[in-house]
Amino acid sequence: MPMLQEQEYVDRLVAEYQGRPGSLLTILERVQERASGKYLSAEVLEYIAAKMNLPLSQVHSVVTFYALFNLEPQGENTICVCRGTACHTRGSRALLERLKLELGVVDHSEEADAADKLSITTPDRKFTIRTVACFGQCALAPVVEINHQIFGHVNERALRTEIDELSKGK
Amino acid sequence: MPLHKVSIRIDGEYVEAREGQTILEVARAAGKYIPTLCYLAGVSPSGACRLCVVEVSGVGRLLPSCTTAVQDGMSVTTNSEKLARYRRMVLEFLLTERNHYCSVCVSNGHCELQSMAAKLGVTHVRYPYTYPALPVDVSHPRFVLDHNRCILCTRCVRVCDEVEGAHVWDIASRGIRSMLVSELNKPWGESKSCTSCGKCVQACPTGALAEKGWAVEEMTKSHENISRLAVKRGVRV
Repeated sequence: MPMLQEQEYVDRLVAEYQGRPGSLLTILERVQERASGKYLSAEVLEYIAAKMNLPLSQVHSVVTFYALFNLEPQGENTICVCRGTACHTRGSRALLERLKLELGVVDHSEEADAADKLSITTPDRKFTIRTVACFGQCALAPVVEINHQIFGHVNERALRTEIDELSKGK
Repeated sequence: MPLHKVSIRIDGEYVEAREGQTILEVARAAGKYIPTLCYLAGVSPSGACRLCVVEVSGVGRLLPSCTTAVQDGMSVTTNSEKLARYRRMVLEFLLTERNHYCSVCVSNGHCELQSMAAKLGVTHVRYPYTYPALPVDVSHPRFVLDHNRCILCTRCVRVCDEVEGAHVWDIASRGIRSMLVSELNKPWGESKSCTSCGKCVQACPTGALAEKGWAVEEMTKSHENISRLAVKRGVRV
């Protein structure tokens, strides 16, 4: 049962940060970093809330406020497409659409107009596609971040090569 | 810490106040009217609705009177053409943000948003309605939560936390996607921390939280009792 390991880790973190205001963020971040799938499951959140004597709703509020926390299991590779203004004018929407087609994912959030905060994972958990408002690298537009590495002036062919590399590398 | 007295000017009149009081408290005590929606006496202010904005001379921007503490020598304007315009705009945005259809709302006639709009002269809305698709949570045996009517004032959140001590509610997400959630975004009826006390329903200014099966005429709310209870318990004056 992996839950037991998590519990021990959470216990240790809570003891370490005892009485420090704002420690919830750090604890959540460290637990997520260690978790397989890089996400916070409902069970883990419930355990952390109980351990820290915090209301569940407050923990949920924090976790949903910050974009860095995931409530769903993430893919092995994260591809983050910039949807900022500069990247948009240089065709990042087409890149994103291409990426979705390439990986065969269906975006259900479109009707909810959630285009600026997208996070979808392929069913085989190989890839997660995300969007971001701006990387601050507008001179390199359109920008795509693959596994925390920035790629500038990306076109569909370059994107495809990278995806093929990553799928082969597995 | 001894409480120092300060003297401020509200609409030109000199008013005595205690240090640490908010502009709203002092103005109301002096018989001035400042419109509010998210303010609830007895629980902490949140500054969410922006209806209570006032002009303070020497300050370039408008300040929310519910969260701004008085300072000695402050000169406050509680009503002006500019303030009226801003307050009407706030209401217009609230009305377009979600689906506020008064004619089919359980709080029709007892709604603070509705009566505030009437009072401040919001006769029409100049912005397009957003018509978000929002759920209605009917899982609780006694109460119903209709997200369509919610204005995110967080009165229920604060009452549940500070007066009842359960903290069932909180606001998830941010910006236009903000939603009232119970526990880990579970249906209200499955919440283990909810005591079904109904304070959130009484505190809700609109029809977002209501008693199940009550007709429009019955669904009157009284948040004065909550304020009284909070003051009795010494939560806040």
